[in-house]
Amino acid sequence: MDEKIAALREAFYALDDQAAVRTTTELIEGGADPQVVLQTGLAEAMLEIGRRWNAGDMFLPEVVAAADIFQRCNSIVEPALIAAGGKTLGHRVVMATVKGDLHDLGKNMVGAMLKTVGFEVHDLGKDVPTDRIIEAVKEVEPTIVGLSSLLTTTVPEQRNVIRALEENGLRRSVKVMVGGAPVTQEWAEEIGADGFAPNAPEAVELALRLAGSERPPGR
Amino acid sequence: MSVERRIRPMRGRFQIDVLSEGELEQVHRATLAVLERVGVQITSERILRELAAAGAGVDLETSRARFPSTMVEEAIALAPSSYVLAARDPALDLAIGAGNGYLSLDGCAAEIVDLDTGRRRPPTKDDLVQATRLADAVDEVANLWPCVAVTDVPPHVQAVHQTHAQLASSTKHVTAMSTFSSRDARAVVEMARVVAGGDEALRARPILSSFQCSISPLSYEGDVMEAAVEFANAGLPCGFVAMAIGTATAPTTLAGHLVSVNAELLAGIVTLETLVPGAATYYGPYQAFMDLQSGGINLAWGPEEVLFKLAAAQLARRYEVPMNILGFGTGAKSQDWQAGAQHAIALMGVAVAGEADMIAATGTVYGSRVFAFENVVLDAELFDLVCHMLESVSVSDEDLALEVIEAVGPGGHFLSQAHTRAHMRELWMPRFFGRDTWEDWEAAGRPDPRDRARERLRQILTEHEPEPLDADVERELLHIIDVHERESEGAKHG
Repeated sequence: MDEKIAALREAFYALDDQAAVRTTTELIEGGADPQVVLQTGLAEAMLEIGRRWNAGDMFLPEVVAAADIFQRCNSIVEPALIAAGGKTLGHRVVMATVKGDLHDLGKNMVGAMLKTVGFEVHDLGKDVPTDRIIEAVKEVEPTIVGLSSLLTTTVPEQRNVIRALEENGLRRSVKVMVGGAPVTQEWAEEIGADGFAPNAPEAVELALRLAGSERPPGR
Repeated sequence: MSVERRIRPMRGRFQIDVLSEGELEQVHRATLAVLERVGVQITSERILRELAAAGAGVDLETSRARFPSTMVEEAIALAPSSYVLAARDPALDLAIGAGNGYLSLDGCAAEIVDLDTGRRRPPTKDDLVQATRLADAVDEVANLWPCVAVTDVPPHVQAVHQTHAQLASSTKHVTAMSTFSSRDARAVVEMARVVAGGDEALRARPILSSFQCSISPLSYEGDVMEAAVEFANAGLPCGFVAMAIGTATAPTTLAGHLVSVNAELLAGIVTLETLVPGAATYYGPYQAFMDLQSGGINLAWGPEEVLFKLAAAQLARRYEVPMNILGFGTGAKSQDWQAGAQHAIALMGVAVAGEADMIAATGTVYGSRVFAFENVVLDAELFDLVCHMLESVSVSDEDLALEVIEAVGPGGHFLSQAHTRAHMRELWMPRFFGRDTWEDWEAAGRPDPRDRARERLRQILTEHEPEPLDADVERELLHIIDVHERESEGAKHG
């Protein structure tokens, strides 16, 4: 089985979606422990891909492609995991592109990649009013709230969301991470966010850090 | 790990003609008039006599040769439009006249920026060895000029020591400089023969070439011209380079500057082809302009440089003689904004000048006076960028990506498309241009491209070991240097 899981990781590195899906299916149907497949196969491969991205050996479109493959494989592993009563997912993340902003590519990329390391992502979409974000936080009880905006005119909404979290007594129960082209570390500190990342892979590292885990949660 | 050795040439596909057909002919006819009426000074009786025998009007008293138009046209036609500049490693041969533009190092800088102290000082033979080793490892550098003048040996043996450093430190094509006499030229040719494996082998694969400079306006030192003939007789290409300074040693107007430089270069080529018919040569007009206040070279050159380059390229095309064009040149003291701007403007000029076979001259700043190691890798990056620009236009069905555009549709993204992954590595990636975020840049101590370049070149100088010469070849080269030193010493005092 170890060999097969190694082959699964290799399929990720080669971005061979068919081989990855086929190997995952064979593993699960062959009775492999779904928890082991998730952790030592899918998640480990994604971590390695993150390392390769960091080293400049892989580019973002490849990381995004790997994230797509992860989601397809995970949809095979997940039912088996639930059936076995295993631990599926760890921390929950609520994310949104703030009110007035229709740009959601960056947020979508961050969302897709957060899923690959085991976060349960609740994506509220784009142009999301503050009220809806507050509602979702109450309902989902996430560890992290992620706020995105591309425009200098909508960036102030990030501050409004943090204020609304405070007013609703929710600020202490969540970590807030912000991102988007005009966002800087200084801005994040100024509005009282817990973290900022300049790109999707670093956003994943930040989320793991904020969730108090250097490794995928659920381990 | 073995790395495949290769040369990165510029393959030009854009050509801007700044002179109309009619204007080009006007420049040509004015040049013929200069060669016929004014002529050039060549201070060698031997060469003047041969030119006279071939139909030139010669005045031995003033060392003046005047060339009838028919003699000029016929001699130019003898110069080959293509040939190979061979390399010790055949994979690094340069096909001249085949649509490739090959970058060379700059030549004989009088000073070098010390890698450790950052201060300029006179260069040594070891500096040339290190610089040549560096260039050996940089794909963009195709042709090795001696980029610093070796000043820790007596001037009369500079040429042989430079050639030794070059031949021993790289397997790329070597251009010899500082051969100021036929005695120098013979010694350098002898060294090339030893490395190539004899006279015939060297003729078949000329691993070394040379060029000679005119003294503007309209003069050649006789010894220098005799050295050119020496190279040509050994089967080695010998180009001609003019470094006239507009306003001082050439007219101020662009057209007048062109005519004067054109006459100098054609006089060199005509002389060589008359004495050694069919000799491989090239046309090297290096433009410079005078600073109107100081009288020195204008270090802040601008538009005139580019216009001159483009017009001169038209002349080289008209004569069907390979061209050596100035690709780099800056008056800046380091690789700063001025250097970046002047280099980029000059290289873009080369990129739209049509085919330029040899592109000089990387590695220096301060009007080619000062060499710094990091310049080589930084200039190579700019060269690579421009090469990439010239290569990257492709409009096949695959490139048009119609199916991909359809698959993604409005509002989607192309990041996860296989098409993206299949083509993304065609996009240019820099080594030294900064692409880090402001945060990362600050965290790294605000590095600039020069810092990354220094890191890279230190890595090359630590790790790169060029293919050495055989021990007996090395011994023979040292012997030739020894003999040349003693003979030159004797000649000097005798």
